[in-house]
Amino acid sequence: MKKKSTYLNNPYTGYFFILPQFLFFAVFTIYPVFEGFRISLYKTTAVQNTFVGLENYRTLFTDPVFLRSVFNTLFLVVVVTVCMLFFGMLISVAVFDKNSGYISLIRGCYYLPVIVSTVVMSMVWKFLLNPANGLVNYLLKKAGVGGGNLLGNPDTVLWVIAFVTVVASVGQAIIMYVASMGGISGDILEAAKVDGASKFQRTFHIIMPLTKPTTLYLSVTSVISMLKLFVIIQLLTDGGPNNSSMTMMYYLYRNAFSYDKKNIAAAVGVMMFILAVIMAIPQFRSMSGNGGKKK
Amino acid sequence: MKKKLKHMEPFDLILNILVCLGAVLNLFPFYWLITSSFKTSAGIFKMPPEWFPSTFHYKNYIDLFVGQPAFRWAFNSIWVSVVTTLLVVTCSSLAAYAFSKLEFKGKNILFALFIGALMIPKEIFIVPLFQIILKFNLSDSYMGMILPNVATTFGVFLLKGFFDSVPDSIRESGRLDGAKEMTIFIKLIMPIVKPGIGALFILNFVNVWNDYLWQMLIARSKDMMTLMVGTASIMQEISPNYAYKMAGATVASLPMLLIFIFFQRYFTKGITMGAVKE
Repeated sequence: MKKKSTYLNNPYTGYFFILPQFLFFAVFTIYPVFEGFRISLYKTTAVQNTFVGLENYRTLFTDPVFLRSVFNTLFLVVVVTVCMLFFGMLISVAVFDKNSGYISLIRGCYYLPVIVSTVVMSMVWKFLLNPANGLVNYLLKKAGVGGGNLLGNPDTVLWVIAFVTVVASVGQAIIMYVASMGGISGDILEAAKVDGASKFQRTFHIIMPLTKPTTLYLSVTSVISMLKLFVIIQLLTDGGPNNSSMTMMYYLYRNAFSYDKKNIAAAVGVMMFILAVIMAIPQFRSMSGNGGKKK
Repeated sequence: MKKKLKHMEPFDLILNILVCLGAVLNLFPFYWLITSSFKTSAGIFKMPPEWFPSTFHYKNYIDLFVGQPAFRWAFNSIWVSVVTTLLVVTCSSLAAYAFSKLEFKGKNILFALFIGALMIPKEIFIVPLFQIILKFNLSDSYMGMILPNVATTFGVFLLKGFFDSVPDSIRESGRLDGAKEMTIFIKLIMPIVKPGIGALFILNFVNVWNDYLWQMLIARSKDMMTLMVGTASIMQEISPNYAYKMAGATVASLPMLLIFIFFQRYFTKGITMGAVKE
């Protein structure tokens, strides 16, 4: 229920307070959306700008590199999101009912890779994974499982990228899950324990259903961050070998800034926009429903 | 302690042992990063690898700060992050206050629009965004890096939650005293939502600090690079001297490590506040 304030303000005051944020929003968010859509319908050369309709989209769907990038992006969306949720849940379940010092320590360790930025993480992993003197390769050889150039092999490269991304993002999930599990009433868990439910059963029947909103939030943010995944690709593989780790975001960037095909890049952007909107609908509902007040 | 361990269920115990092992494994890359940065370019190629560096070769750091404008990069990063964040905090708190406490037409639609935009990463519109930058001649400038990042509506969403929890009676008492809306906002309400402002400040600072793609596009000259862009450019050099590259990565990671160690409380609070309220 919304309580009406006793003193209604002058409506212009409201607009005045919104204005600064709205100006930035209009110029750097709303306008680019429409402009991006418009650019994607044109073919721009140094001398002229011709309307070509959906031509750019047609070009995209006949380009095997683009199709590859769509596949790779979806692959990363699914694999990274599932792994992040699974490990995030598992680790949080293990620690959330322990003492707070232990929780902070574990949370800190797993959050470290998130906080130091993907640029640094990518550099460290590039070093660890490099085929000449990388530690990973050395250890794999020692263990007798071959190794070789994991980033240079089309069969392994995507898995390696997924692995590095999960390591660099699971900390986020742990922070959210631990906070959300801390909000579960101790009585319920205690009662289940008294009834003889094991920790595994408590996790499956009590904790997982009660942390569902967090899971939803995490899946949407993970999907979005996988859509815009850029740094790891640029620094670890540059989209290679032979485009086998090309993602939509990297394909967009390459077209816009390396190949100077702005119209094609804009078309990729529009398609990613549509993808993001579709995947964000459930989260949007839960955030704006009831004015974002009750859940 | 021992008693407690004995009382743990086996599933719980095994899980926690694995979690601790994982935590150590998580720290290892950082150990390797820092120790490698003190090795010589030959030491880094040794096989089997040196688990503990036998040398304390700090020349990599000297090379970094002498050979590259690393101080300038650090300054750029700080400047861009601070100015962006101050602007974000100002705009977001004004807007969040309006959404939470003021009445005006179109409020709900606007708020829905702001929340919807949260789900759309700005990176997918780098083509039109970059054209705006070129039109206003902001390429290779601080403003070019700063302005687009102020458009984020995350702060509005985060702070609205804090404003919602402030009772309306405070605003009403200000009104009765004849205070203007702006005075009420600054003098009465803002002090109450300080924790929210703190959380937003840190979260946004970290976001901008780590925002690599956009800064890379804007920085044309070496002097305009930020720490992230600069260190990444070192990484992309052909030179196989990883010790030197790791020194760059260490420097780039330090500020965030310090912030995290000192402000962990704010982090956890801000991150969880920004999510679904249960």
